[in-house]
Amino acid sequence: MKRYAYYQSCINESMTREVDRSIQLWQHDLGIEMVKLHESTCCGGSNLDYVSPKHFALVNARNIAYAEKMGLDLVVSCNTCLMTIRSAKKKLDESPELKDEVNGILKQEGLEYRGTSEVRHLLWVLIEDVGLDAIRQKVKTPLGNMRIAPFYGCHILRPSSVLGKDNPLEPTSLDLLLGALGGSTIHYDHKNRCCGFHTLLVAEEESLNVAAEALKEAMDEHADCIVTPCPLCHTVLDGYQSKALRKNGLRGSIPVYHLSEVVGLALGYSERDLGIRRHIVTA
Amino acid sequence: MTDSTVQHNEDKRDVTFRVHRFNPQVDSKPYHDDYTIKIEKGITVLRALNYIKEHVDPSLTLRAFCQAGICGSCAMRINNMSKLACTTQVWDELDKAREPGVIKVDPLRNLPLIKDLVVEMDPLVGKMEHYSNWIDSKMPEEQWGKKEFLVSEEEFVKYDKATDCILCASCVSECTILRANREYVSPAVLLKSYRMNVDTRDASHDLRLAELVKDHGVWDCTHCYRCQESCVKHIPIMDAIHGIREDAIERRGVKDTSGARHAEAFMDDIARKGKLVEATLPIRTNGVGWTLKNLLPMAVKMVIKRRTPPPPPLVKASKGIEKFREEFREMSGHVAKDHEKKSGE
Repeated sequence: MKRYAYYQSCINESMTREVDRSIQLWQHDLGIEMVKLHESTCCGGSNLDYVSPKHFALVNARNIAYAEKMGLDLVVSCNTCLMTIRSAKKKLDESPELKDEVNGILKQEGLEYRGTSEVRHLLWVLIEDVGLDAIRQKVKTPLGNMRIAPFYGCHILRPSSVLGKDNPLEPTSLDLLLGALGGSTIHYDHKNRCCGFHTLLVAEEESLNVAAEALKEAMDEHADCIVTPCPLCHTVLDGYQSKALRKNGLRGSIPVYHLSEVVGLALGYSERDLGIRRHIVTA
Repeated sequence: MTDSTVQHNEDKRDVTFRVHRFNPQVDSKPYHDDYTIKIEKGITVLRALNYIKEHVDPSLTLRAFCQAGICGSCAMRINNMSKLACTTQVWDELDKAREPGVIKVDPLRNLPLIKDLVVEMDPLVGKMEHYSNWIDSKMPEEQWGKKEFLVSEEEFVKYDKATDCILCASCVSECTILRANREYVSPAVLLKSYRMNVDTRDASHDLRLAELVKDHGVWDCTHCYRCQESCVKHIPIMDAIHGIREDAIERRGVKDTSGARHAEAFMDDIARKGKLVEATLPIRTNGVGWTLKNLLPMAVKMVIKRRTPPPPPLVKASKGIEKFREEFREMSGHVAKDHEKKSGE
């Protein structure tokens, strides 16, 4: 059983609780164990980095240092947490002065940021550590009857200087995983575009336009559902779906699943157990 | 070796350019023309398009000048990505083509189309003007020409990268929010505003910043990083956008905007609980009236699905929060000292 320090994203503890719930259901089936990091704090959500760059470095050095203390990689299942924590790590690794300053403060908690733990997305762990072949062999109910629109979201791809795993222009990781689960994915322009989440409360109309365009393209391409590795994208595409479509004079609806849920479905778990019935848009 | 690798290793091959065409004087809507020409390895997309214009179809309209990645005139979307035609190798694009052997060429997005591959740059220039993106010298006019206005190495480093911008508008074309609303300031303009705002010779900082924090300004950026990813000069544009925001929040106290309140809520919540208190985030960002008007119908649906974020008292603080708070406060002390040092300079 390979173990990981699991970062608890704020949104997965509040609005999208089904993400952590589904991971807990199937993790042992795939030979992995996510050890919840109860000490972790909010990463700053792509905002703290400019409100106060130094607090941003401190908070995320601490998040990573807890994983380092356990000798484990830090795994996250929210794109923005991934990008944010990785970007803090990059800053810390590139600046010995900042690292020293932060470690001077973390000392009182008996912590030290060394830079030894990787910060990884759940999707990457599934592909790189569990492996597509191993996943294929575990599938009990292949997703074959679904035509899936993969929606990567921004912060698992961009900035590539911080993420650097998938090709931001032509990403394949999510397609590969969905393929291993027996699903067929469609090619559409919005697969690497933005959901509009980060301006929902600041420029709502623009955000809803952004979301509507993505939803429209997926529906125009006759996708049966959208799958995303990010709970923030899910919140917009599912929670705000009817509002976004209505404001843009569009009709229809399309279910949106979390990556962790479709893994669970393929491994034979029910929609009820996975928490899929908590979605706003139901199939 | 696969067939496609064999093809790509050849020094010469037939390539089809699927080029966007639109002449508003005769066409009712845009269409694409296919031009298939023999191309040698090492040829750029711009040279190929110029060849088509000279030898195949003189009516094809495009804009280009320096042919060396300096002037920024030939930005267009090649295989759906905004970039300079003059620095883009045909061979590289063949590897990315969705249809084998076919390279798609389209005009930039988010700017009005004039003809074929040429877009109107005036809206961008207009925004540069609106946000006062030039240096308004601090030096009194009577001293002009008599005295040097020196910039130290340290001061210059802050905007060195931003000065690499050649105004090609690739980032403008790729911008998510501009696509959703043409009024949005746009990444190139934010980059330039940042560059002017951190220039120690400039006297218009406050005026510019006051404009930047208004509607359709710096707070409307949705952090998608498409601008940065498409920048032909690899300028970290998001650092500039965040730089303006940091300036608005920390240094000048330009806080009375929903964007600033939203950003600061993260800081407050982390300081208090280590966790974001999502339930009250809309109210803290936009007030009660806005929240009731905009989010009430959705809140009802969320209650039914048991999706509502927990009320503030039920948001569980991170384990070890007491120690964390002390550390957070200690860092606040460091930041205060940094600011003192900076304002003393």
